[in-house]
Amino acid sequence: MQSVLNFRVSTLFISSTPFLGLGLPMKAIKINGLKKSYGEFFALKGVSIEVEEGEVFALLGPNGAGKTTLIRILTEGLGYDSGEIKVFGKHLSKETARLIGYVPQESVAYDLLTVRENLDFYADIYNAPPSRIPKLIEEFSLPPEKKAKELSGGMKRKLSLAVALLYEPRILILDEPSTGLDVPSRRELWGRIKRFQYEGRTVLLATHYMEEADALASRVAIMNEGKVIAVGTPDELKSLAGRESVLHIEGSLRGVELVRREFPRVIERGNILRVSVENARTLLPRVVETLISEESEIRTIRVEEPTLEDVFLKLTGRGLE
Amino acid sequence: MNRRVVKGIILKDLKEVKRERMTMFWVFAFPLMWITLLGGIWGGHSPPVTIQLGVVCPNGSAIFTTGNVVAAMENFTIDGVHVFKIREYGSEKIGMEAINQGRIDALLVFPRGFEKNVSEGLPIRIYAYFDRSDPQKYQVVSGTVKGFLSEFRHEMAVRRLNITLSYMGKYMSSNFGDNFTVEDGKAYLLGLVNPIEVEEKNVTGNAPSPIQFYVTSFIGIQFLFATMLLIGSGTLEEIEHGTLRRIAASPATAWDFLAGKVLSTFTIVTISILAGIAYAKLVFGETIFPSPLGWVLIFLAAVFSMSLGLAIAMATRSIKATNTIVNLISMPLLFLAGIVIPEATLPDWARPIVNYFPLGSALKGLRLLELYHRPASEVLPGILWLSVSAFGILLIAVLLYNWAVKRLG
Repeated sequence: MQSVLNFRVSTLFISSTPFLGLGLPMKAIKINGLKKSYGEFFALKGVSIEVEEGEVFALLGPNGAGKTTLIRILTEGLGYDSGEIKVFGKHLSKETARLIGYVPQESVAYDLLTVRENLDFYADIYNAPPSRIPKLIEEFSLPPEKKAKELSGGMKRKLSLAVALLYEPRILILDEPSTGLDVPSRRELWGRIKRFQYEGRTVLLATHYMEEADALASRVAIMNEGKVIAVGTPDELKSLAGRESVLHIEGSLRGVELVRREFPRVIERGNILRVSVENARTLLPRVVETLISEESEIRTIRVEEPTLEDVFLKLTGRGLE
Repeated sequence: MNRRVVKGIILKDLKEVKRERMTMFWVFAFPLMWITLLGGIWGGHSPPVTIQLGVVCPNGSAIFTTGNVVAAMENFTIDGVHVFKIREYGSEKIGMEAINQGRIDALLVFPRGFEKNVSEGLPIRIYAYFDRSDPQKYQVVSGTVKGFLSEFRHEMAVRRLNITLSYMGKYMSSNFGDNFTVEDGKAYLLGLVNPIEVEEKNVTGNAPSPIQFYVTSFIGIQFLFATMLLIGSGTLEEIEHGTLRRIAASPATAWDFLAGKVLSTFTIVTISILAGIAYAKLVFGETIFPSPLGWVLIFLAAVFSMSLGLAIAMATRSIKATNTIVNLISMPLLFLAGIVIPEATLPDWARPIVNYFPLGSALKGLRLLELYHRPASEVLPGILWLSVSAFGILLIAVLLYNWAVKRLG
């Protein structure tokens, strides 16, 4: 099984570089054999990734997969043990800092400063033109005289995004951009990320939400335990699930362990059960029968195509969360 | 160095401090409290001491009684203050109990026959007991009591001599031969009872007032606490909020960041020092204003202190640990580096701290310049030592900063 997967992953790596020879888009980010450890713990075990200019590239993986470490190395100067990183052909350094705009998980704003003062400060730090500040305030509908500590979570994320765009970087890197946002704010953010891509810029985002990766990314790298285990377009990755479909069952469910014994690739989240199987329509009655025999109350049953999370489950044997 | 980055950090820090009430308290209210307390307690002119003196007197009815001595003691004043507060005891034993219990500082016992011997011009004896448990107090009490008794003895000798001289004039030949007259004899005898005549003349020295001394103490407190804590905790807050990671990732270098931090902290401390100087003038009517060389000393001391604070912060990467270590360093130095206690009153083993610990020597230099108006050449070696140590520790702080930034979690 392992050799089959390896074959498929390597096939995807090849298929993800469609342009060969002249006219090949420039590599926005090229990472080769990156390793990083914290004492005895190996956070990155030889990660290699190539992000093309103009694409939205997602790093998908559960917490602890190494996504944030990778992003902090790219954006925050975090040291690493070995490997090579190039940004538009240049080694990662202070020189490349202005090529990258970064939106971290936490707010980067100084609580006691107003929105405008925060933007003034970062404009000074990044040597950005002051004329960008009123434009960004208007574009993001930010309250200029409000202190950062008085902003909502969504507004703080907008301010972080405005800070990242102050100096018009060619690459935008976002770490878990949707975390903590309500649905309308998330939609608005996704719209901005897409707009950024339409402007021909590159986006690298780290997420553990497969919907986010699926909705935004041109290509996805699935990470687990400090390694990239697959790279490709969402459709290419889903094809890794083969002929499998997913039984989506919702309700007050009991007897999940009995189902898991017979069908090992099960994801249980709240009152939703997702069971990856081949021949879904044949096996559906058996799964339902098992659940009902344990006095489950089933409200919804449907057969779905596999998602990226199902792919992750197939590759690692566990869910994304 | 990128001037725009440095300016950005200075402006940002000043705005934050202005809006942070606790920082405002530690930077402004706390030092002013120090000036008020130190100036209020020790800033005024001290009155002469009052000595609790016990006396044990024999009963008698001679012309000159112990009562006369006691009355003279009770009336003895310096600057209008009665120096002795007298308590009479019935016996030596009771008087000794009082001195052991700390009710009196000294005990004078006039023995039986004292009054008779005084009246008859015979030698007299007084027993004096002093409590020696506090050497400083013993020095003051014994000196004052013995001084009074010495004056009393002299007065008595002069009176006795005058009686003797009146007889000499009446019954002796005016010339003893060899041109030695009665007058020569009188002068010789006067020399015997009063071999040295001390004439006291009052001089007002050029020493600084206590308030001026405590203004320099306040400046020293700013070196020690405000600068170290401000830059240390300020940088750690940047780490905790994740903003330092952001700055580290920007084109700004470690030197840009540290120059911004050092200058913003120095600006805040300078404003605080100016407020303290003005406050002392307003409340106590006295102050000092540092000369340009004094400001150079203040700046170098601040750089040393800030670098030390930053080095501690970067090594510990914890606000609590930094505050603890800064306090562990600062609290003993507050006393041992001569900041609130004059060097003259420090024990011998602590004096090298004043002379060689850079902050102690900076403050000593500042006092020599501003309080005693010594020439610049006297403080230049100290300034040189301070410069070397300040930039040495700054270099260590920069190395630790770069080391810490690579490890920000």
